[in-house]
Amino acid sequence: MPAINVSNLCKKYPKFYLDHVSFALDEGYIMGFIGRNGAGKTTTIKAMIGLVHHDGGEVSFGDVDFQKNENACKQEIGLVLGGVDFYPKKRLRTITNVTKRFYSDWDEDVYASLLKRFDLDEDKRIDELSAGMKVKYALALALSHHAKVLILDEPTSGLDPVSRDDLLDLFQEIIEEGERSILFSTHITADLERCADYITYIRDGKIVFSEDRESFLNRYLDISGKVDQLRPELESHLIGVRRHRFGFEALIPAHLDLDLSHFTTAKPSLDSIMIHLERG
Amino acid sequence: MINLLYKDFKLVLHPTNYIFLAFPAMLLIPNYPAYVAYFYLCLSVFFMFLQARENKDILYSSLLPIAKTDLVKGRMIFVMLFELISILIAIPFAIINLKLFTISNPAGIEPNPAYFGFVFIMFAIFNWVFFTGFYKTAFKIGLPLVFAGASILVFYATVEMLVWIPGEVSGFLDSRNPSTMLFQLPILLAGILIWIGAGYLTQRLAGKRFAKVDI
Repeated sequence: MPAINVSNLCKKYPKFYLDHVSFALDEGYIMGFIGRNGAGKTTTIKAMIGLVHHDGGEVSFGDVDFQKNENACKQEIGLVLGGVDFYPKKRLRTITNVTKRFYSDWDEDVYASLLKRFDLDEDKRIDELSAGMKVKYALALALSHHAKVLILDEPTSGLDPVSRDDLLDLFQEIIEEGERSILFSTHITADLERCADYITYIRDGKIVFSEDRESFLNRYLDISGKVDQLRPELESHLIGVRRHRFGFEALIPAHLDLDLSHFTTAKPSLDSIMIHLERG
Repeated sequence: MINLLYKDFKLVLHPTNYIFLAFPAMLLIPNYPAYVAYFYLCLSVFFMFLQARENKDILYSSLLPIAKTDLVKGRMIFVMLFELISILIAIPFAIINLKLFTISNPAGIEPNPAYFGFVFIMFAIFNWVFFTGFYKTAFKIGLPLVFAGASILVFYATVEMLVWIPGEVSGFLDSRNPSTMLFQLPILLAGILIWIGAGYLTQRLAGKRFAKVDI
């Protein structure tokens, strides 16, 4: 039973179409949700949790259909949409005291330990927090009610490298027991290289791939060489070619029956795959 | 639901809302239209929504494990409690008015049970127009206030007209006589029932509209 199952999720805007988005994530894994700005990551997440009224499709968490039982699903989900940017003049303590009442499994000890770990002062007001601290506070709220599924939209944006590293460690700790899952969208793909088990890549509202990270990375090779080596039969396979003074760089599907011995090839990074695919 | 009321109490209620709750003391102003205090109270409900909107309460609340329709229901109950409290606060001032002043209020109705019945109906109208208008978008707040304000103004003009036009109706509605006031109690009861019924229907329609809003 997948922890998250999204099936044919659609949402039509005048200038954007979330087109039959489908993916699934099993318990105990981390899925990175990648795509460039405006590709539909946040819209997908918002449609999944009912913030955006979708035009079609189904979303379920465990065996519970979200539309049929929104409240029960939300009890099991920890949500972080960027940082906390509501009630900027209220103290953290006030927001927490209100928020915790809504969760039957709120754990004060977990919350206290997260405050300490993130170095958060409850007497501060929201607008006294830096962007990174706002994300940390949102995470502390999301992680303190034993959510089985964490949905995080750009959780690492605005964090310094040390905090990002700490956060990624925390993600690993969370899924270690095998009962909790994390879906997080990001454009900082280096974070995913470290912790994501699965990658779902969205482009212009459509899911391009949704599979385990290694399969995703093994689909392509980074290729570079001299421009005069470019032959039409090779060029037709290259993706997102960039020519420069010293030659060219591109992406090429990994399992082609072509002799690439005259070129430099390497396993691509997520960044490289995304950049070349987007370049087209 | 109690959690939603607590949330609105701790996060949405602005200190000025408490000041507005004291406005029924205006019933002690001699020769002054009794409904004015409740115009201010309706304005106070608008400020409540403004405070919530400016602080992105909709986003915060939508992340909580609460259905969108329940968020509207919670706010409806909160506003109705606020209105009820204002009526309870007004009652001592109305009694003082009736004991203290010996002549009839030339500016309109006396603070008698009929008056309070009409105030409940005024609340029902305001809530209906304002809630159903606001929750169409959950961010456009000006026009719902204009329409709701105009609606209660029309209602105010209508019920005060009944008092201003000399005759039996005026004599009955504008009475300060305790025995007549006893016969006004059905108007009060009808006002309360309309207010409760309208509140129920309002949150149903506003909730349906809000469920379709993208946040």
